[in-house]
Amino acid sequence: MDINILRDTLFERAENKGFSACEIYYNENSAFKVSVYKGKIEKYQNSQSGGFCFRGIYKNKMGYYFSETIDDVDIDGVIENTIENAEILSGDDEEFIFEGSSEYARVNTFNDDIQKMSAEDKINAAVEMEKKAMEYDSRITVNSSVVVTGSNLVYISNNKGLNLSEKSNYIMAHIEVMASSGTETKEKGELWLGNNIEEFKPNEIAEKAAEKVIFALGGSSVESGKRNIIIKNEVFADILGCFISNFYAENVQKGFSLLKDKIGEKIADYKITVTDNPLLENGYITTAFDSEGVATYSKNVIEDGILKTYLYNLKSAYKDNVKSTGNGFKFGFKSAVSTSATNFYINKGSMSFEKLVEKMGEGIIITDVAGLHSGANAVSGDFSFAAEGFKAESGRITSPVNQITIAGNFYEILKNIDAVGSDLKFNSSAVGSPSLIIKNINVSGL
Amino acid sequence: MINKNTAEAVLLSATSTGAEFAELFVESNVKNTIGVVNGKVERANSGIDCGCGIRIINKDKVIYVYTNKLDKDNLVKLAGEGAKVIKGKSNIKNIVFSDLDIYRLYVPEIMPESVNKRDIVSMMRLGSEAAYNYDKLITQTNLSYMDSTQNVIIANSEGLWAEDERVRTRIAVSAVASEGNEKQTGYFGPGALKGFEFYNTINIEDISREAARSAVTMLKADDCPSGKMPVIMDNGFGGVIFHEACGHGLEAAAISKSASVFTNKIGQKIASDKLTAIDDGTIAGSWGSINIDDEGIRGQKNILIKDGVLKNYMVDRHNGSLIGMEPTGSSRRESYRYVPVSRMTNTYIAAGKDKKEDIISSTEYGLYAKYMGGGSVNPASGDFNFAVSEAYIIRNGKICEPVRGATLIGKGSEVLLNIDMISDNLALAEGMCGASSGAVPVCVGQPMLRVQNITVGGRA
Repeated sequence: MDINILRDTLFERAENKGFSACEIYYNENSAFKVSVYKGKIEKYQNSQSGGFCFRGIYKNKMGYYFSETIDDVDIDGVIENTIENAEILSGDDEEFIFEGSSEYARVNTFNDDIQKMSAEDKINAAVEMEKKAMEYDSRITVNSSVVVTGSNLVYISNNKGLNLSEKSNYIMAHIEVMASSGTETKEKGELWLGNNIEEFKPNEIAEKAAEKVIFALGGSSVESGKRNIIIKNEVFADILGCFISNFYAENVQKGFSLLKDKIGEKIADYKITVTDNPLLENGYITTAFDSEGVATYSKNVIEDGILKTYLYNLKSAYKDNVKSTGNGFKFGFKSAVSTSATNFYINKGSMSFEKLVEKMGEGIIITDVAGLHSGANAVSGDFSFAAEGFKAESGRITSPVNQITIAGNFYEILKNIDAVGSDLKFNSSAVGSPSLIIKNINVSGL
Repeated sequence: MINKNTAEAVLLSATSTGAEFAELFVESNVKNTIGVVNGKVERANSGIDCGCGIRIINKDKVIYVYTNKLDKDNLVKLAGEGAKVIKGKSNIKNIVFSDLDIYRLYVPEIMPESVNKRDIVSMMRLGSEAAYNYDKLITQTNLSYMDSTQNVIIANSEGLWAEDERVRTRIAVSAVASEGNEKQTGYFGPGALKGFEFYNTINIEDISREAARSAVTMLKADDCPSGKMPVIMDNGFGGVIFHEACGHGLEAAAISKSASVFTNKIGQKIASDKLTAIDDGTIAGSWGSINIDDEGIRGQKNILIKDGVLKNYMVDRHNGSLIGMEPTGSSRRESYRYVPVSRMTNTYIAAGKDKKEDIISSTEYGLYAKYMGGGSVNPASGDFNFAVSEAYIIRNGKICEPVRGATLIGKGSEVLLNIDMISDNLALAEGMCGASSGAVPVCVGQPMLRVQNITVGGRA
């Protein structure tokens, strides 16, 4: 079925059934993936997928229904299910279908050069990446070398006049390498994601992964105790990501966040400024509008250590009597609108990574953590993660460290940041951080 | 969803360039979720996932295409495009399907779609109230309900035609206890490969009160100490240790690339003599069970480790052919969007002969981990971690004060040899396991056991 016909039919039927407002969110994406092993194609994948989500306000409640197919849609079934879902809701919050913002920023989310890459180009890039990693050191074997490209279309339309669409595409490369010393095997990976083809350098991705795994060999644990540590940029980005939901107004309002009543208060060291920037050039989550159709804009969530704002969607903004910050996002087209950060990062400082190591003098550099989904209590801020890295002695990196944990509390470490590096890096979830020196962290080992 | 004529045409197109094997996985999955926050229904959503994955295998090469456009022309075209990666001539002229006779371990009594959503909401409200009423310190509750009815057709170029229906339901309860600037969460998430009648077998109020009790206990607990010490892990979700420390390393996908510490170890002693471990997809109605796997092979009970000696891996068709082993009914995927690989079902350490009381009384100092959270592992190095959600210090053979916020880490190959006592109170617990073929429902399980020495990462 054509999406416009589906929309018109659904809206007409919904209005007849008593919906005061309704909306369709349509998504279409295609992806290509090639995985190379020992110089040959191991996995080759092509996909097309998508679907629609219908939602509407019925007796002041927002009902939802989704389907992965727009062919042979049972229109009455969609409306009935949406009503059924709306009728059981008992939240007191006001619901909104948005008529549109007056202006939307122009963002560059679609790069024609990616579409022009042939399957051959991508296969060659994956082969090249694998080869480069193998050449780095004879102890290295490559588990998988993967190149993915994808494109995505979002279309939102409602009966209050909103009509928005955005196309985006990306290229992603990922390599997993192993190194064996005979007594010990380590595995490390490196991932690159972007839509600027000029920055896509398979050789560099391979070298980074190879370097990581070779340097990790021969590690040992350390005595348990309190230490000063440097948490590497991408590692702290992952940790920040574990606690990001505390900045969402809906969680604050429901009592799930300790940031309640903290606006205007100092919650971090004065060196810390955190920005949510949906308009970031080449950001992983760059978009001109959120899933409710609200225009997005850049804002500081923490400025010089002071909490400035929560992230809002229309519903939570109405409750706090403020404007939506354009953070009303869905997790995939099927889900209800909730809240999400976009490109969310700690602003960089002035010290290079080497200078940070020099400044710390003695301590541990954390280059890897594991157990992020289980080792963090998102509500209390407590965390304990398995970790690896290196010792720093007299301001220089010395021997590798493994089989340790680092434990602390997110809110406490925000206040204990001693220095901020200049090496801002984003993880694949669009959360970014520079490397940071953190004082007095609990390290458990022997 | 798709008929045999279409399936044959698609599979012939998929093998038109000489592939050894092709397979279709067609799925329709009706899903329903409800969320009750602080006693109010805040979320309700439902819908349908549907699509088809076409897998083409030739020697060590796998081609996979998927779509939600299920018309014959589109599927034949996509299969043909995928087949172009292989350069050869077809050996298959026609395919005659024979229907696989599926023995359903459990037949659901009340299909989720027949249940009035208001009844689900009433049950969830009972849970929310029970948690609130447990203690004044309970300040938030969050209950999530889900059901899914997944219908699949699996057809392949060898003539297999298998149809299966998987009905699952699950409820998750979390209760938050707060005091001042402190917040702690207690959580339970029971589920089953059953219909709505599952909720007649559990008591939602008891479960909610237990989540509340755990949250309140942890709110009052001190930080867990750090360092190496003996750890007693209680039954049920404690089995996550075996799942992470060993289970993933016994999956054929890791073995075929020598990316597991257990590669080439069959017949060798890899664990304590007391340890027998099993992956059993055939437990009637259990959350992790399967009638058939996602390649159309019947679920099996596989003994992985017997008395400390490695007996078998969990094997899927493709990785099995690479390492010369028969598939074990272990091939799973979240949906048609994923290439199936060897995964766990219900994986547990079998009951031992020690008594629970003796394990505790014979421990001079250590940690008693009553409830565990999730974890992860790197199969290549064997480094694993998992979180403890409710724990106590053991002193002079007695369970003493509660402690919180610990992660346990170690190496799978070492920790298995380090288990010195296993009790007789085996229990299973439900979870979701994420890996290359997506998130699949699994059970972990074990009786209470003791690890002599393991690194505990606490904040104190």
